[in-house]
Amino acid sequence: MELAILLAGIVYGLIIGLIPAAGATTGLITLFGFMPYFVGDPYLGVIFCVAVVASSTTGDSFSGVLLGIPGANSAAATMVDGFPMAKNGQATRALSAAITSSTVNGLLFGSLTFLFLPYYTKIVMYMGIPELWALVLLAFVTVGFVSTKKYVRSVLAIVLGVTLGLVGVDVNNVPRFTMGWRYLEDGIQILPFVAGLFAVPEMWEGWRKRKQTTEHKNLQGSWSQIKQGILDTKHSWRDSFRGGAIGSFIGLLPGLGGAMADWLAYGSTVARNPKEKFGVGNVRGVIGAEGANNAQKASSFIPTVLFGIPGAPFAAILMGLFLYIGIDLGSPDTFYDDKLFDSMAFAFLVGTIITAVICYGLAYFAGWVTKVPYVYYFPFIIATILWATLQYTGGWEDVAVLLIFSVLGLLCKKFQVSRPALLIGFLLSDRIYSLSYQMITLHEITDLATRPIFLTIMACVVFLIYWGVTKRSRIDYA
Amino acid sequence: MLKKIIIAMMLMTTTALAEYNLIVPQKPSGGTSVWAQIVVKEWEKHLGEKINLIYKPGARDQLGPNMFQNKLRFDDKTILVSHGGNGISYLVEPVDYNYLDWESIGQMNLNIIVGAKKETDVLNGPIKFSAGSGMTPEIMAIVQLLTGPKKNYLDTWQYKITWVKGMNGSERRLAFRRGDLNATRENPAAYKKHVMPVIEQGDAFTWFHHGLLNVATGKHDNDPNFEEPTFEALYEDMWGVAPEGDFYDAYRLVKSWRDALQKAFWVNKGNPNKDKLVEALNKMINDPESVAAIEAKVGKYNWRVGSEGDTAVQTLKSFITPGALKTLTDFGKNQLGYNTVYKQQLLK
Repeated sequence: MELAILLAGIVYGLIIGLIPAAGATTGLITLFGFMPYFVGDPYLGVIFCVAVVASSTTGDSFSGVLLGIPGANSAAATMVDGFPMAKNGQATRALSAAITSSTVNGLLFGSLTFLFLPYYTKIVMYMGIPELWALVLLAFVTVGFVSTKKYVRSVLAIVLGVTLGLVGVDVNNVPRFTMGWRYLEDGIQILPFVAGLFAVPEMWEGWRKRKQTTEHKNLQGSWSQIKQGILDTKHSWRDSFRGGAIGSFIGLLPGLGGAMADWLAYGSTVARNPKEKFGVGNVRGVIGAEGANNAQKASSFIPTVLFGIPGAPFAAILMGLFLYIGIDLGSPDTFYDDKLFDSMAFAFLVGTIITAVICYGLAYFAGWVTKVPYVYYFPFIIATILWATLQYTGGWEDVAVLLIFSVLGLLCKKFQVSRPALLIGFLLSDRIYSLSYQMITLHEITDLATRPIFLTIMACVVFLIYWGVTKRSRIDYA
Repeated sequence: MLKKIIIAMMLMTTTALAEYNLIVPQKPSGGTSVWAQIVVKEWEKHLGEKINLIYKPGARDQLGPNMFQNKLRFDDKTILVSHGGNGISYLVEPVDYNYLDWESIGQMNLNIIVGAKKETDVLNGPIKFSAGSGMTPEIMAIVQLLTGPKKNYLDTWQYKITWVKGMNGSERRLAFRRGDLNATRENPAAYKKHVMPVIEQGDAFTWFHHGLLNVATGKHDNDPNFEEPTFEALYEDMWGVAPEGDFYDAYRLVKSWRDALQKAFWVNKGNPNKDKLVEALNKMINDPESVAAIEAKVGKYNWRVGSEGDTAVQTLKSFITPGALKTLTDFGKNQLGYNTVYKQQLLK
C-alpha cells in the first residue's frame, strides 16, 4: 500500500511540476480536500505529501528548459542556461543534467537530513537576524552582479522587484503602494506575477511564429543526450555538490526559500568558472542551480520537524496538511514518532529515485515536445494560467494583474532587463524589509562587528560586487 | 494539468450540490481556513447537509466579511466564518461589516498566554516583543504591568518596550528561542508546542494570560488550564490595586473583541436556517467523537453556541465606551503607528 501511495504522490507531483509557474507549494495547497482520506492511516498521508514535494521539485525543471517558463519560483535559475540549451537542440541533455544533479544532491542531503535530524538545532540557532539579513543581501548581489553583465539594469530590476514585492501593507498594516486599490492590500499574488513575467512573453513569441515549428534544432530525443547529461554532472560534480551544499544551508533557514538557494548556487557556479560563458547554454549553469533544488527541500524539513517552524513556504503548507491528519510537526509527540520519520525518509529518498527514473524517460521525449508548434499548446497553457490566476478571488482584478505583469514581462524581454533579477527582488522584498527593520531595532553597529558569521557573509557581498563590476563578461539573459 | 481539470470539475460539481456556502476570508492555506475545514467536516455530519467552503481572501482578510455584509448575507444558505483579527479591525478600521447585523451560530473563545525569558526584568524592562496589530492586547497589558497605577504609560512605552516590527509567527518563535525577543505570546496549542519546551529547559516562564470572557459577568475568568494568573490578577498582586482607567478599558476592549470572537460562525439576522445550524453545532460539540477529532487538530477551545453567542456580542458591545475607544485608537495611531480611525458610530 505504501508503494502505491508513493507512486500516486510521485505522479501527482510530476504533473504539478510540469505545469508552468506551479511548484511544490501549489501542488500541496490543492491537497487539502484529499487529506480526510488519510485520516485512517496518517502515515500514508505523510508518504503522499512528501512524495509530491520530491517529485514536483525534480519535475519543475521541464517547463523552464523546454518553454523558458520557470516550473516554480526556484526553477528560474535553471532556465537561464537550460532554455538556451533547448534552443540549441540539447533539451534532453539539459534535462538529464538537471535531473541527475537534483537527484544526487536530493539523495545525499536528504540522507544527511533524515539521519542527523536532531543535531541541526545549533546551526539554526546561530543564524540570527543580522546573518539572515546579510544572506538576503548576498542573494541580491549574486543575481545583480555575478549572474549578468548588464549589472546596472539588473540592479534596477531588483529595485523594481523589491518595490513590487512591497505592494500591500507595511509593518503597521498601513496600505503601501496600493494606489487606493484594496485588492492589492494582500500584496501582488505570485502566480500572475511569474506567469505574466515569464510565460506570456514566451507565449507571445511563440504566437508570432505560429504555424512554424520552434527554432530548436536537432529535435529528436536521444539516449546519447541523456547519457551525456549524466556524464556532464559527473564531470562537474564540484558545481553540483557546491549547489547542493548551498541549497541545504539555505533550506535550514526559515523564510529564505528555494529561489534564493538556486540563485546563490547558480551565482557560485558562474563565479567558480570565470573562463566560461553562461546564459548561452552552458550545462554547468544547469548543474549548479539544480544541485540546490532538492537539497534545499530536504533540509527545509529540519526546522519544520524540530521546531514546527517551516523552513520554506511549501513546508508551511505541509505542516497544515499534517495537522489535518493529526500530526503536529514540532511538537514533542511527533519528535519521538519513529514511524513518522521513517515515512518521511522513505517517501523523500525512494520518491526521489523513482522520480528520477520517470524523468529520464520523459526527458527522452522532451526533444519531441519541442517539435510541436506553439500554436497547438499556446491556448492550453494560457487557459491553465488564466484558470490558476482566477483561483485567488475569481474577480476581474486577478486578470488585470496578470495583464499588467504580462506587459511588464514583454517590456523586460524587449529591453533586456533581467526578469530573474526582478523575480528574486519580488520574492525577497518582504524579507529584506522586515529583517532591516528588525536589525535596526535590536542591534547596534558595535554588536554587528562582533558577529563572525555576519562579517564573513558581508565580506562575500563586498567581494562579489567588486568582482561583478570589474569582470563584467557574464550572461545577458533577460 | 489533468489533475487540475479534475479538481476543478469536482469543485464545480461540489458547488452545484452544496446546501450551504461558508465564506472564509482567507486563502485555503490560512489558519482560519484550515480550522474551518476541520470543524466543517464534523459539523456536516450532524447537519446532514453539505457545507461548501468559499474562499474570499483579500484586503487583509476584510474582503470576505465586507462581501458578506454588503451582499452575501442576504442568501439564507450563506454562512461566514470570522477570526479575531476581524474583531480588532471592526473596532479601529473603516470596514463595511457590522457584527450587530448578524446572528451568531457559534463562537470559539480563545485564551492567549504570554511567556518571558528567564532573565527578563519584568519590572524595568526592556521587554523585546514582536509587533503586529494582533499583538496590541499583549503589549497594552505589558505596558500596564510595568507602569503601575500612578505613572505615565507613554514613558513606559517609550523607554521600557522594544517593539520589533516585521516578524511573522515562525520568525517570532525562533527569535524567542534564540533570545532576540525576551517575551512572546501564543494560543494554548502553540504555547504548548513552542514555549513550553523552552520553559522545560529552564530558560523561560509563563508570565500571564488574558483569561476567558464570562459573558454573564463581563469579567475574564481564570483559565483552568493554567496555574499562572490572569493579567488582572497579576496586576493586583504586583501593585495592590485592580487595574482601571481608560488605558485598562482600552486593553479590555481589544482583547475581548479579539479573543472572544477568535473563531466565529455568523448568518444574517433573521436567517430561517439559524436554528437548524445551531442545533447541528450543538450536537457536534456534545459528540465526544467530533470533539476529539477537532481538539486533536486545533486544540481545546470553549464554544458558545446560538443565543449565548449573541449575548457575548452584547457584552462585547458594552465594552465600547468613548474613553476606551479613543484611547485604543490613539494608542494604535500615535504609538504603534497603525492607520486607526476613531469610529464614533460604534458608540450608538
